[in-house]
Amino acid sequence: MISFELSEQQKQIKEMTHWFAKNEIRPIAMEADKLGKVPDEWLDNVNKMGIHLNTSSFGGGGKTSSKEKKEREGNRMGVLATEEMAWGDPAITLSLPGAGLGGPPVQSSGTPEQQERFLSIFTKDKPRWGAYALTEPEAGSDASGIKTTAKKVDGGYILNGQKIFITNGGRASWVVVFATVDSTLGRAGQRAFVVEKGTPGYSCSKLVKKMGLRANETAELLFEDCFVPDENLLGGEKLYEASGNKPSGFQVAMKTFDSTRPIVASMAIGIARAAYEYTLEFVKQEYPKSGELFRLASETLAEAEQDISAARLLTWEAAWKADQGKPNAKEAAMCKAYAGQISLQVCSKCLEILGPIGLNNHLVEKLYRDVKIFDIFEGTNEIQHLVVARRQYAPYEIRV
Amino acid sequence: MISFHPTEDEVSFVEVAKGLAKDKIRPIARNIEQNGQVDQTLVKEIRELGLLSLELTEYWKGLELPLISQSQIWQALAYGDLDVVQGLPGTGDAASMLRLIPDSPVLQSYKKDVTEGGTLAFLDIDEHSLTNFSVTQKDTEYLLSGTTEPVRLANFADYVLLAATASEGEAVLLWLDQKHHPWEIEEGDYRLGLIASGLSRLTFQDIPVSQSQVIAKGREASDLIKKCRSRIRILQAAKEVGLMEAALDYAIEYTAGRKAFGKEIAKFQGVSFRVAEMAMEAKAANHLVWEAALKVDEQDERAEGLSLRALYRAHRSLRYVTDSAVQLLGGHGYVQEYLVEKWMRDAQAQVALYGREKQMLTKRGEQLIKGEKEAAMS
Repeated sequence: MISFELSEQQKQIKEMTHWFAKNEIRPIAMEADKLGKVPDEWLDNVNKMGIHLNTSSFGGGGKTSSKEKKEREGNRMGVLATEEMAWGDPAITLSLPGAGLGGPPVQSSGTPEQQERFLSIFTKDKPRWGAYALTEPEAGSDASGIKTTAKKVDGGYILNGQKIFITNGGRASWVVVFATVDSTLGRAGQRAFVVEKGTPGYSCSKLVKKMGLRANETAELLFEDCFVPDENLLGGEKLYEASGNKPSGFQVAMKTFDSTRPIVASMAIGIARAAYEYTLEFVKQEYPKSGELFRLASETLAEAEQDISAARLLTWEAAWKADQGKPNAKEAAMCKAYAGQISLQVCSKCLEILGPIGLNNHLVEKLYRDVKIFDIFEGTNEIQHLVVARRQYAPYEIRV
Repeated sequence: MISFHPTEDEVSFVEVAKGLAKDKIRPIARNIEQNGQVDQTLVKEIRELGLLSLELTEYWKGLELPLISQSQIWQALAYGDLDVVQGLPGTGDAASMLRLIPDSPVLQSYKKDVTEGGTLAFLDIDEHSLTNFSVTQKDTEYLLSGTTEPVRLANFADYVLLAATASEGEAVLLWLDQKHHPWEIEEGDYRLGLIASGLSRLTFQDIPVSQSQVIAKGREASDLIKKCRSRIRILQAAKEVGLMEAALDYAIEYTAGRKAFGKEIAKFQGVSFRVAEMAMEAKAANHLVWEAALKVDEQDERAEGLSLRALYRAHRSLRYVTDSAVQLLGGHGYVQEYLVEKWMRDAQAQVALYGREKQMLTKRGEQLIKGEKEAAMS
């Protein structure tokens, strides 16, 4: 039956992550933004607590054995937890140790040996990160147009190319890199590799300065005659042989989006909620209790609350479908597009309510700067529209 | 557990309703609009399927379904045509009040007539009604005078359920019988939309209503009216979602086939992106309606606020989606050969009929700032 009540496990994860966001993340949010980094000592401490950024760390995300009839809820747990964490602070959340966006492709396409090798390194002894490198200077939304090359040599591949806008790319212990073995093959020529830190020819060339999410590292990566062994080809040669001429590497990249877009959407929702709640308290304390200003604030806050709820329900649906094992590309694109769009509007409207006071060391100003990227990364708003439109026209066999 | 799975019963109901919508309602929607009344054969078929008594309790020979189920069914029916659905005779919006007071002694003697096809209009005279209509308390009686705003089903009504604030400032809920409380129907000149929904204004010329017709008054009446409004908001919002889905699918089919500059216009992003936006609007509204319906079913205290939110959003999305459908059909969207022309008019009439958007938004905002209980008291 249709229900929007949380299960006991979902309630627990929500409460636990909210507690952490409120007591550990939020208190350092403004300072981390000013410093342009999350303090190392803080990262070390949370890593010792076992707090990581990947969906499996929220529990319930793993495969259940055939004996267990328990319904999978890892994706729903993931979006519930991420909303709370981003409510605390999105830049710090994105900086949490763990496989991050690199986790889903390793989990979904890696061999059991690769999963063990790359996902087991996130232990409590010291913080480690994974990363996901798809975007290039000349290929952003058009992921099929990547230029980084992978030339087959004895025992592995030689990678050459540049990747940009890579979250936690500089500090990552490994990064999932998409490259082409033959650009004339288009998508069919794409492969995904796991490149480990310290591999000769692999370097971080720059950390970029941004409008927001300043405490989170965004890197440019260079691959110069970088040798990657066969065993680091994600899924192994068999994956690509089995799929013949199908665009497997591209599919790895796209499949990742179906599980990460609801996560990104839930982060945007957490940011919008943080701005909304902050502003609601401000209005309660500082605004007159009637009259024109009160009416304006009432309308604005009601609109914001409603947009946040609508975005959350869209996100839950995408996550629920993923848990059910149903195709969710349309719903994932919908929630990402909608959440990315309304979260900026909510932050902007909250700033309007705060007025000039909001410019001076108020959280909402930071959230506004942070949230803009959520309408861009993991596929721009326009790309999400394209994905949704393609699904809408699929019954008519029209490729838009 | 968060789930978007309808129950098996809901799936079956929706299948039947969607079938009716596509095969029986939509093909004759234009004719029904021209006639200004829903075809009796269609009414009979829908009644026999029990779809006119979803909200009613067993006492009223109804199915007494939860709102979450009803929302899906009305959504499916409105996919055929909103005007036809709004013009279906029977208990209409008053059904929600009958649901709340199934065993009111006032209504006992009307049970047979109502369950056998009598039509009810629900007159909800709130503080924002722009009319000279008044309910004056005189000793033990109430005196009704003046003309109401246009009301759905008023044209066909045998009975009126009146929710109002009397001259003493006290809420009152009255049952009016055309035979004993004669009203005049001012049919008017309705051209915008919902033409077959029986819209008209009712005029009462100092009509006395005795105590025997008082269903509730004071706190009891105001509580009932508040709960009833929440239910009506959700059911109306669900119908709006159904119309949105119809307009969306219609626009997709048209733009997939229509060619310009040598290719299907769907292949222009100006077109396909708008379709994507329409799909997102419809889905967002849908989920807010479902959430509100669930809260009413659970008797959650936030239900009223969520019903305001759901209907506000449904209104806003409905205007956008139906306008977009006309826009995507271009000149064809503006002429009556295509249903989107009618649906855009129906949508605007529906929005006008069921609550001003800004008022709902302000009221919801007040609840958020003051807290729901305090706002309700103010």
